[in-house]
Amino acid sequence: MSEQSVSPEPIDPGSSWASRRRRGIAGWGDPRGRRLGGWAFILNRLTGLGVLLYLSFHLVVLSLLARGPSAWDGFVSLAGSPIFLCFDVVLIFGLLFHGLNGIRVTLVGFGLVVDRQRAMLVALMVIGAIALVVAALHIFAAG
Amino acid sequence: MAQLEQPPAGHGGPGWTPSGETARPTWGWIAQAITGAFVLVLVTLHMIANHFIVAGGLRDFADVVAYLSNPVVVVLEVCFLVAVTWHGLLGLRAVLFDFGLSRRVETAITRVFTVLGLAIVAYGLWLTWTITSYH
Amino acid sequence: MSAGIDPARDTHATEGTGVPIRFRVYRRKAGDRAGHFDEFALEVAPDTTVLDALVAIRTRLDPTLMLRHSCFHASCGTCGMRVNDAEVMACVTKVLDLGTPRVKVEPIANGALLGDLATDMVDFYARLAAIGRALVRNSEWLPSSELPPGIEAHNRYESCIECGLCLSACPVVATDARYLGPAALAAAERAIGEPRGLDPGFILNLIDDPQGAWRCHAAFECTEACPSEVDPAGAIMALRRRAAGARLRSIIRRRT
Repeated sequence: MSEQSVSPEPIDPGSSWASRRRRGIAGWGDPRGRRLGGWAFILNRLTGLGVLLYLSFHLVVLSLLARGPSAWDGFVSLAGSPIFLCFDVVLIFGLLFHGLNGIRVTLVGFGLVVDRQRAMLVALMVIGAIALVVAALHIFAAG
Repeated sequence: MAQLEQPPAGHGGPGWTPSGETARPTWGWIAQAITGAFVLVLVTLHMIANHFIVAGGLRDFADVVAYLSNPVVVVLEVCFLVAVTWHGLLGLRAVLFDFGLSRRVETAITRVFTVLGLAIVAYGLWLTWTITSYH
Repeated sequence: MSAGIDPARDTHATEGTGVPIRFRVYRRKAGDRAGHFDEFALEVAPDTTVLDALVAIRTRLDPTLMLRHSCFHASCGTCGMRVNDAEVMACVTKVLDLGTPRVKVEPIANGALLGDLATDMVDFYARLAAIGRALVRNSEWLPSSELPPGIEAHNRYESCIECGLCLSACPVVATDARYLGPAALAAAERAIGEPRGLDPGFILNLIDDPQGAWRCHAAFECTEACPSEVDPAGAIMALRRRAAGARLRSIIRRRT
């Protein structure tokens, strides 16, 4: 007993035979047992990666502009098709969710509004839903 | 009152060490927040200017040239490209860092993404210049 | 004997007054290539807890079931588990409150396994030690033993019962072995708030790190899972406020 010291001896965390039972990506994506903030986390991740993917396509498509009017205007006529417009609505959902949740993550991440972060998330999602409906109506009506 | 044991300087105690020999200040997250705020404003402007006030929802070539003839527009669009590229690559880097990679791999990723980001912005500048000088 | 389970009643009895429940319990012992689930049928009473049921399983059905428990009232932090994919303390989770006759019991995630439902908490304690919260308690010493100097500082009156549910729930801990994690970060925030003679500067330097307080993505799953109202996510955000403030002050100081 008297040899026991106050600070622990150096521990090798990998010494247990089944070293890590990390859930891996399942810890991100598994919807079972997930609560509101956990949904915000995974959706933020998916919308961020999704918008990034869209951005890379968008930058490639924009190179058509360097090839002059015929190349670009050909694309413009494609872009009015219903399937394109559906993708546009999905994109806007992604931007809205990521942007609005990003406001929460930024404020909370600097230690502000932490105690009411759930309420803030709900409020931002309501705003986002309204904005999405307005945008979708505009896209399908005008486009 | 007696003192707690303090681990040796620069070391995180047994079983856990911080990312560097001494913990490096992390600017990545703060840059993410700031570029994110810029993106929020600039993407809204970009969407409105390019889609929601344009008849048919998309500018044809002539419209694009006219749009970019305004220097304020060019500045805003370039700022938007810088902000969204920076924010997006920082985000992808954060996702990769969530896998607990070694410090060497993390440094390599940061370098690659920095080069990639600069290349994308350079491409955008070139494209803008090409469009506005089209005859 | 625990409330709700009648030791005299056999699970194969044709009649009983309990509610029949099917338990699927994760099993894995040293040397097993993979884990599997064993099924046990039990009848439970309204106030039977998951821990009561597991102890009954071990007592009457399968004595090889490995699990840990101690206080039976969610203050020792020993019996943390994942029950139907949610992090809970098994001793205060009533089976019938789960609302389903199928109950899946797994050990807490993201930690090393000793066997079945017993997790090796060595890694968890190492993180706490890194913050200066070594795990030694005054009550563990016999009156006749020589106490090392400074032992009184380790009496902690804190909400955290070191159950590990927060690390199990955290999506970042799921993929990132280098992340310090919610429990240790919450301990860091407490240590800075009440240093007890320790210079808290080293803790602030430690957590101001990409794999420290800045790795968190604000999922708040840790705060939701915590049985003891520690609010680790709130503590992490408070740490960021401290770290950002300290950095701002150092920049200003350098300028003036």
